[in-house]
Amino acid sequence: MAREAATVASLALPVEAPAAQAGGWRRAWRVGRKRPAAAIGAVIVLLYVAVAAGAPWVAASDPTRTDWGQIRKAPSRAHPFGTDDLGRDGFSRVVWGARISMQAGVFSIVLAIVIGVPTGLVAGYYRGALDQLVMRLTDAWLAFPFLILAIGLVTILGPSLTNATLAIGLGATPTYIRLTRGLVLSTSAEDYVHGARALGAGDVRVMGRHILPNIVSAIVVQATVAIPTAIIAEAVLSFLGLGVQPPAPSWGTMLNTAQQFLEQAPWMAYWPGLAIFVLALSFNLAGDGLRDVLDPRDS
Amino acid sequence: MIEFLARRAIISVVTLLLISVIVFVGVRMIPGDPARVLAGADADAAGIDEIREKYGLNAPIPVQYVRWLALAVRGDLGESIRTRLPVTRTVAIKLPITLELACLSLLVAVAIAVPAGVVAAVRRNSVWDVLASGVSLCGVSIPNFWLGIMLILLVSVRIGWLPASGFVPIADDPLGNLRRMLMPALVLGAGLAAVLMRQTRNAMIEVLSADYVRTARAKGLAQPAVVVRHALRNGLIPVVTILGLQMGALMSGAVVTEQIFVLPGFGRLIVEAVFTRDYPVVQGVVLLTASSYVLINLLVDVSYTVLNPRIRVRGTADGA
Repeated sequence: MAREAATVASLALPVEAPAAQAGGWRRAWRVGRKRPAAAIGAVIVLLYVAVAAGAPWVAASDPTRTDWGQIRKAPSRAHPFGTDDLGRDGFSRVVWGARISMQAGVFSIVLAIVIGVPTGLVAGYYRGALDQLVMRLTDAWLAFPFLILAIGLVTILGPSLTNATLAIGLGATPTYIRLTRGLVLSTSAEDYVHGARALGAGDVRVMGRHILPNIVSAIVVQATVAIPTAIIAEAVLSFLGLGVQPPAPSWGTMLNTAQQFLEQAPWMAYWPGLAIFVLALSFNLAGDGLRDVLDPRDS
Repeated sequence: MIEFLARRAIISVVTLLLISVIVFVGVRMIPGDPARVLAGADADAAGIDEIREKYGLNAPIPVQYVRWLALAVRGDLGESIRTRLPVTRTVAIKLPITLELACLSLLVAVAIAVPAGVVAAVRRNSVWDVLASGVSLCGVSIPNFWLGIMLILLVSVRIGWLPASGFVPIADDPLGNLRRMLMPALVLGAGLAAVLMRQTRNAMIEVLSADYVRTARAKGLAQPAVVVRHALRNGLIPVVTILGLQMGALMSGAVVTEQIFVLPGFGRLIVEAVFTRDYPVVQGVVLLTASSYVLINLLVDVSYTVLNPRIRVRGTADGA
């Protein structure tokens, strides 16, 4: 009996964290060497983070300072990305725009995770009527095309960066509820969960200590795929005038203005779009690599 | 099968009801008196009273909801604050343009994605496969509104091949209509093509290793016959499902694409409605889009059942 309990206990033990971590870094290095595209993607994402964090130092001039003598000037040594219709420096605006994009992209997905993961966890763990209710609600929520939902929410809340982030996050939430629920359903059937329960662990402990650690990696991988989508979504909302309001430098609002001056000042349209494209591409590349690092079974 | 379809239909009805609740609550969350919200800021007292009477806005909330739903089911979604036209009529005028755009983009997406996905799967790990995956990754990463702006810059501003914007009804001038729809369809189709390409490739890889494909090969059938007649037919089934699920993305994309190319469709209607605070139009468009998404996916599931007999026997599509 005692031995049986010991076996159950060892089954119920979570994987030792430090060893797993070291293995993870080693695996990351291996994957990085084997898949240079993923490594380059990760480096570029980190570069964007650095640029966003260090915006005041990277961009010499104020992104909102207008200069009537420098309206729509082509790229030059003084203004490598040219200037816009109000004579503002294109480079500074693109650099500061990184801040807004990263902020919207990361915070919205964090919001989706914070709401979606616990909801999916509870629904998948307890099942029954609660589960049915949650699933039908996510079905209904998912039926709203993302942008239509965001437009609806912004109509109610009013256009701003915070509200755009909120709308994007709420739009992404059902994906996390479904993902988490599905993972919980398969994980709950594992022996170590039964083991933990047999040892008398309460529901909260089983969910928090035994199920959650085993589904975290799948959620993180999903987040790396979702963040570029969220970044593009913020740009779209701002492009439509429903997100960041001028004069704040957002890539979406910059492209909105640029469209009016395509013939006279095409450079206004190059850089903000390229910045979004490269960031989204890098995130996707890095996400593919991360999937291999976190989920060795798949590779 | 009947049981499965009935179950699926009931779930759809429940989903539709929940959607209506979400939209109803959403409109009630707009600050201010709902009667004034729905009548418009510059409506007179009589107009506001009329709205109050119609939706019974003095009655308890559940009664208001039922009354609103009963009107909506009968096709009465109120009238636009701006134009005073019924919302359903406004939508009926704008919808064909968006439908044409959506159909053309689907055509573009399928024309690019299916051949590319098949080649990538058949020549797995070849240069073509890597190239197709790379292009597909770029396709999902590129913001479609930027792609649209760049296309306008290149094709309209620099080369002058196609008009940058505007719309001509297909009945008046079919060629002119197509010339104006080509770029929007390309822009909207590109993102969809990227997703479809990946799905086609994965589905084909799976199907190509199936026993019946090996049998077909063993019979001595040539590669094209095996790929097209045996593999592709089965490989495309999951792709059809993805197409249904992508309808939402297509709608979102249409909003942006119509904005860039100044097409007077459904998408432009909703953006204009937001800016003019035309709440009945926003409410109607959101309700209609979400409902059609549910109905399209119900249809996709039904067609899936017809296409794949195994589902009929097992009773469910996803095992839930």
